[in-house]
Amino acid sequence: MARILKVMVRKVINAAITIFGIICLNYALLRLMPGDPALSLTPRDPKYQGLAEYNRELFGFDKPPWEQFVIYLQRTVTLDWGISYRLGLPVFDVLMRDLGWTLVLVGTSTVITIVIGMLVGSIAAQKRGKPFDLVSTATGIFLYGMPIFWLGFLLLATFEKGSIVGHYFTWWPALPSQGYYDDMLGQWAWDGAHLTSAAQHLILPALTLTLGTLAGISLVMRSSLIDVMTEDFVTTAKAKGLSDRQILRRHILPNGLPPMVALIALDLAFVIGGAYQVEVVFNYYGIGWETIQAIDNLDFPLLQFIIVVGGVAIVLANLVSDFILLLLDPRIKVS
Amino acid sequence: MGATEVVVRPRVVSPFQASLRVALRRMQVVWVGIRHSRTAMVGLAILVLFIGMAVFAPWLAPYGPIDRVADTSNCVPNISCPLSPPSAQHPLGISEEGSDIYSQVIWGSQISLIVGIFSAMVASVLGTAVGLVSGYMGGWVDEVMMRFNDVVLSVPWLVLMIIVAARIGTIDLLGLILVIGLTGWSITARVIRAQVLSVKERLFVERARMIGSSRSHILLRHIFPNAFPLIFANTILTVAVSILSEAVLAFLGLSIYNTVSWGKVINQAIGGGALVIGGNVWWVIVPGLCLVFLVFGFYLFGFALDEILNPRLRRR
Amino acid sequence: MLLEVKDLVIEYTTQSGTVHAVDGVSFNLDEGEALGLAGESGCGKTTTALALMRLLPYNGRIVSGSILFRGRDLVKVSDTRIRKIRWKDISIIFQGAMNSLNPVRNIGQQIAEPIVLHEAVEEQEAMRRVGELLELVGINRERMRDYPHEFSGGMRQRVMIAMALACNPKLVIADEPVTALDVMIQAQILELLERLRKELHLSMILISHDLSVMAETCEKVAIMYGGKMMEIGTTVDVFTDAKHPYTQGLVAAFPDIRGPRTMPASIPGDVPSLINPPTGCVFHPRCKFAFDRCTTAEPALAEVTPGRQAACFLYPEVPEVVLRTETVAAR
Repeated sequence: MARILKVMVRKVINAAITIFGIICLNYALLRLMPGDPALSLTPRDPKYQGLAEYNRELFGFDKPPWEQFVIYLQRTVTLDWGISYRLGLPVFDVLMRDLGWTLVLVGTSTVITIVIGMLVGSIAAQKRGKPFDLVSTATGIFLYGMPIFWLGFLLLATFEKGSIVGHYFTWWPALPSQGYYDDMLGQWAWDGAHLTSAAQHLILPALTLTLGTLAGISLVMRSSLIDVMTEDFVTTAKAKGLSDRQILRRHILPNGLPPMVALIALDLAFVIGGAYQVEVVFNYYGIGWETIQAIDNLDFPLLQFIIVVGGVAIVLANLVSDFILLLLDPRIKVS
Repeated sequence: MGATEVVVRPRVVSPFQASLRVALRRMQVVWVGIRHSRTAMVGLAILVLFIGMAVFAPWLAPYGPIDRVADTSNCVPNISCPLSPPSAQHPLGISEEGSDIYSQVIWGSQISLIVGIFSAMVASVLGTAVGLVSGYMGGWVDEVMMRFNDVVLSVPWLVLMIIVAARIGTIDLLGLILVIGLTGWSITARVIRAQVLSVKERLFVERARMIGSSRSHILLRHIFPNAFPLIFANTILTVAVSILSEAVLAFLGLSIYNTVSWGKVINQAIGGGALVIGGNVWWVIVPGLCLVFLVFGFYLFGFALDEILNPRLRRR
Repeated sequence: MLLEVKDLVIEYTTQSGTVHAVDGVSFNLDEGEALGLAGESGCGKTTTALALMRLLPYNGRIVSGSILFRGRDLVKVSDTRIRKIRWKDISIIFQGAMNSLNPVRNIGQQIAEPIVLHEAVEEQEAMRRVGELLELVGINRERMRDYPHEFSGGMRQRVMIAMALACNPKLVIADEPVTALDVMIQAQILELLERLRKELHLSMILISHDLSVMAETCEKVAIMYGGKMMEIGTTVDVFTDAKHPYTQGLVAAFPDIRGPRTMPASIPGDVPSLINPPTGCVFHPRCKFAFDRCTTAEPALAEVTPGRQAACFLYPEVPEVVLRTETVAAR
């Protein structure tokens, strides 16, 4: 047990170093922007001239570099991340709210993807070479390469209110597709109306993201299981007289899952990337959507910390998956 | 035995040449494997088709990529005016800016392929170098490089790309290639590093070290040829990813200004109301399908290659 | 007769073509007997062993022939039936036990698994038997909860042996049980196998490419080449007076520690392709006694002296092989 703790501590330290690295990278990127950093933090519009001076003082751009860095670190840690001038709200609040919605989207999609992906992958591995396998693998490779935004638009065109298809087939379902809940309902509250609306608005984006990432998971699951199936100990298990189901449950899955977990974690960065596209297509106001808005409007205070938030989220997700891996595989415990 | 002395004069060949020769010989074996694999051949066929489209674009496309073929003062509605649907003269219709969409799709293959392939090469070279050195040196060099890799991997690549792009200034072909290449090396580095680590443990490397070979010698003559097939297969998959990355960037507005790519066409299509009632759906669907099939081709070929190169997989 | 294998034909379907891994192999095994199955790598020995328990991989199939185990044809029995026979009546020890044991479960669980399955006892009860088995093979029963990677190669092989004996089988197949081990450990394991065989009255099929291993433990030996059976006879007789040219070559290739210090004669040529096997006798391209008939007709395995069978036209009693008719497709 002590050994697992030692490995865990080491991983936490690594994660902390990486997060620190992200924060530093962030700092470097801002300074690398051409021109006066204070001006970068301020919109180009002349009426904001006074704000530039305010920013300059606030961020200490007139002070020597290392002092700036310290100020930057202080402000990052104390969560004093400045004000987004597009929205006039504190950056931290905006990002936390957006992150929440993005996590809902990514979370829902990931859960469904993992469940269905693993199921399809294991059936394909078992029925290897048979029609189910060939069809599902070909479909998988096909979907894997589909640009998510394109898929999103096609789904949007097919299912939104007033779609072309709906025009010709009146019975065709129409799903809401802007924002994460009905604007008419006003401020968010944890009641039936809001929750239903939110769920409805989640359908199309989540469907798109799920379809886009499903293929990857099921293909990896399939190869991981096939890898295990050809191991000698599976033949030993078969030789003992175990049924295929028993072998799958007791021997194949426990060995096939760890590499899956590792790969899912690595894939997370791409899932987040996909989420960005989905959010833009469906106007779902999460971190991805906010990022694009921030870039279009040159809202640098926001942009700065989007990098940090996004990066930290991924590092933490990887950490969690590493821990799960640790618990699953006894070989790692002892190595 | 008899007294004739045989003088053996070794051919002087640099270690790099030697390792390249070994690597090339292995590639010949791989080619045989490719010919036998149906999956690989289908993938290859698709790739050849698109590469053909790109190479012969000037002859295949009736118009240039951004040529204005519609003269608003003097056009036929629904045939040669902007935003016309498909017709005999313009098989995919005309865009909002007055360009022939069919030509745009054909010209678009050039950008997608060029950006995809070259940025993948940049990412591959960078990733391989990092992976090889990091994996082989181990110790603190490895630690530092992997931490940096983590950071690059963790930051949402989209944001990173946009910021790198903003730094470089206006987007031209080289810029786009660099942007995608400089942000796409992390996965390759990890994959190569893992392979180096497993090869490092193998006995023949131990023995080479015992004879006293230098580190660079071992790296070049033993580790590199063993990793080469993996590097190649990985590059193919990286190309697929790069093509998609370029499409996403184009869709978000970051595209080369004097020509088109499929992503840009889709961008313009959405903006031009292709998906609303009375719009031209083919404007969106066709470039998208091209992307899907091209990537499909790369993946098929890459997966098949992976099976051929990994002897353990072949046993299955 | 415990086991009668008759005209067994097994094929593998691969991307490069159909591999005729086993092409008309026949042999018998009595109760309490130890038969050695010898031959070079790739000659079909392991495939034959796997087929006995219907353990061929997904691309292999038994094309024709019969495997009579206690009178029942294992090629034709149902899947449910074969699962009952596996491990309970016939068990197998694989080579290179590193991958033959599940890395994520401890050895106690793995040895207990077949006991719980076949004898419908609780795991607690089974664990008692596991302890006994471990002691039988010379492993401290305290190590029951250890994982496979915590054992050395030799110890893992002992675990495999303990596991193979878990349900008191009638027949144990040992596929290259000592190949992956160093010589000192080899001797220990072989001795263990011999002792257990005698104590528990087991029948055994020992597969190896190493003739010396067979010389120590087996009463009868069967030599395979190119998917076919070349010679069968008692170990002593076959090694001292080999009838088939291939066996002669094999025996001659073995260095004698007391003999003169010269390189032993090896058999020239390469092993045949099993996708495109040679016409006639499968060994004729490498045989120094080959004559015309050997290139066109295939010799059948027949008795050439009492208690000895060989498949070679050098012996007039040996007829040609008749084409098989009946086809069965099982795995």
